Amino acid sequence: MARRGRQALFFLLPMLILVVAFYILPLILTAWISFTPLTNWRVRDQLDDFVGLENYVNLYYLARYDPDFHKVLQTTLVFVTFTLFINVVGGLVLAILTYLIDERISLAYRLLWLLPRMTPLAVFGLLWYYFFYGGPQGTLNSFLLKLGVIDEPVRWGTDPAMLPYSAWAIIVFVNGLVGVSYGMIIFYSAFKNIPRELIIAARVDGARTWEVIRHILVPMVRWHIVFVTVWQLLSLITSYTHLFVLVQWSVVDKWYGTTLALYVFNTAFFDVKNQGFAAAAAVILVIIGSILGLVTLRIMRFSQMISPPRGDI
Amino acid sequence: MVEVRLEGVTKRFGRVTAVNNVNLTFGDGEFTALLGPSGSGKSTILYLVAGIYKPSKGRIYFGDRDVTDLMPNERNIGLVFQNYALYPHMTVYDNIAFPLKLRKTPPEVIRDKVLEVAKFLHIHELLDRYPAQLSGGQQQRVALARALVKEPEVLLLDEPLSNLDALLRIKIRSELKRIQKELGVTAIYVTHDQSEALAMADKVVVINRGVIQQEAPPDTIYNEPRNVFVASFIGSPPANIFPATMDYTEEPCINLPGGTRHCVEDEYASVLWRMKPSKVIVGFRPEHAEIVENPVDGRPVIVGEVYTVEPLGRENIVTVASEDIHLKVITPPEVRPEAGELVYVAVEKGKLMLFDPQTEVNLRYIAREWSQGG
Ligand SMILES: Nc1ncnc2c1ncn2[C@@H]1O[C@H](COP(=O)(O)OP(=O)(O)OP(=O)(O)O)[C@@H](O)[C@H]1O
Ligand SMILES: [Mg+2]
Repeated sequence: MARRGRQALFFLLPMLILVVAFYILPLILTAWISFTPLTNWRVRDQLDDFVGLENYVNLYYLARYDPDFHKVLQTTLVFVTFTLFINVVGGLVLAILTYLIDERISLAYRLLWLLPRMTPLAVFGLLWYYFFYGGPQGTLNSFLLKLGVIDEPVRWGTDPAMLPYSAWAIIVFVNGLVGVSYGMIIFYSAFKNIPRELIIAARVDGARTWEVIRHILVPMVRWHIVFVTVWQLLSLITSYTHLFVLVQWSVVDKWYGTTLALYVFNTAFFDVKNQGFAAAAAVILVIIGSILGLVTLRIMRFSQMISPPRGDI
Repeated sequence: MVEVRLEGVTKRFGRVTAVNNVNLTFGDGEFTALLGPSGSGKSTILYLVAGIYKPSKGRIYFGDRDVTDLMPNERNIGLVFQNYALYPHMTVYDNIAFPLKLRKTPPEVIRDKVLEVAKFLHIHELLDRYPAQLSGGQQQRVALARALVKEPEVLLLDEPLSNLDALLRIKIRSELKRIQKELGVTAIYVTHDQSEALAMADKVVVINRGVIQQEAPPDTIYNEPRNVFVASFIGSPPANIFPATMDYTEEPCINLPGGTRHCVEDEYASVLWRMKPSKVIVGFRPEHAEIVENPVDGRPVIVGEVYTVEPLGRENIVTVASEDIHLKVITPPEVRPEAGELVYVAVEKGKLMLFDPQTEVNLRYIAREWSQGG
């Protein structure tokens, strides 16, 4: 057993070093900063100036009384839930469709869905900036105006009459478009690994397409579904780049387009540059993320899926 | 249950013709083995019968019913795959119950039927396990159970025993045969193992490159191969095949390698007289010849030098080189000549086979076709 322990250590060591260097150390640093009044990166005189739980207390009061912060929390919840749904279920649906159709069309189709992911962030942001632009020259507006669906241009993401739903719809839509290809690629390659005989066997047993999907395809990739769900959940909780562009260019309302992750970023680097406070919010975010990740694994009964190895080596 | 008929069936995959103009009848309740080398189109024929492939040309009938355009689930077939294709995420019970569930069978009926077929195949103690927790033989029986639980009219088996060890294979072989006869189901069994085909089947269909070579009971396939391919494919080791020239003075006589002559008197004589081929292809089975010290009158004899001797315990395989031809002879264990020794290979009377050099068809069959044609 000692030998196996040493073997395990040997294989894990490089990864452990990376994790410590790029995750654990920054995390400790962040936690540290969250107990300081650090603002405007005045590292020299503020980094060893402890204020105890002040940042956390501020955060608490903000969460309790600040209407904008309430919007951020709501937006985070809505954004993560719905985008996650699109990313996982949409990715699954796309993968099933591409799996069932002719290989050549399928390839083109998958590449098409990969475009949003391959497009540079700025270009992608610009695209949506034009698309949802509130003036008559915005793509969506001019299109709908021509069709006669609307009489005057609509400020899609910012018109108070349609908030918060329009802003939420836009951020979920745009991020879903980027994220859905991830699940699609993972699920598609998982489908490709299912032996063809299993599908044929199911057909011979009398399964229609829908039943093949339900009884064979989906259960056979359940591991991948868990993986994509957890992965996407965590990345949705922590990612903010697309939202940053959308908010910065006023495609969507500032508060109904800002999630907690973006809020942390803005607080630390952009708006008020209050790093101590941002660090406290970041620590809370990491805690929430860890808990949600574990809960998801629990709900999806991850441990039951790890079958004991067949050999002993 | 039902007779399966293929009429002029051709299946192409792009430029590859996997099955070429096949006419075949699988008798009602019969056990037919489809035998052929790898890539010969055996699985393709099976999948055509199953409805997984649609023929490029031709029709397929179950009895009077034209099933050519029916989906697999409309054909009432059971299919066992080469690698079993058990659903890895389902227990044995769920695997067997799956076809019934899809048919919306009531749960109590499903339970009864699954238990019944599981008992029948001695796997009723494994119902809670997953396929990965079973041995090869057990998996094979689960696959069989899944095929049988539907009470199919036609049972299709694609090399179901190829993953098993020799002992288990022989055991399951007889079990399978028993089950098939008990149920009276029409069975088509794909294999490239000839001993399996000969031992199990009522009828053997030999196929090569998508073309049927011979369709006959095992005895006939073995004793009277229709052409050179069948002769050289069946038997272990397979038949010795070599070309020889003929002369026709008083009788049709074959000039055998090593300088001996054999004059044909049996049923080949008449066809030889009529065709007068200047060359023939000669064949005989290694087990139909012996090594002798003195040539005996009347028996075809070939002179040669012992090349190698392979002792196999119960018998020896002696390879004799005569001119540039290598002949294999099976001898009893005590007959073990030295390499380099000069010997006579004597072929049993009536066991010499002659084939037409152009078409490679057994001349005996040509003779029969003539006598039938008048
Ligand atoms: N789906 C397919 N697409 C293209 N070619 C195919 C396909 N299926 C079979 N073939 C070709 O058709 C021929 C017959 O294949 P088949 O699977 O019927 O052989 P087989 O007799 O079952 O061989 P084996 O004993 O190796 O299983 C082969 O040349 C094979 O390459
Ligand atoms: Mg095959």
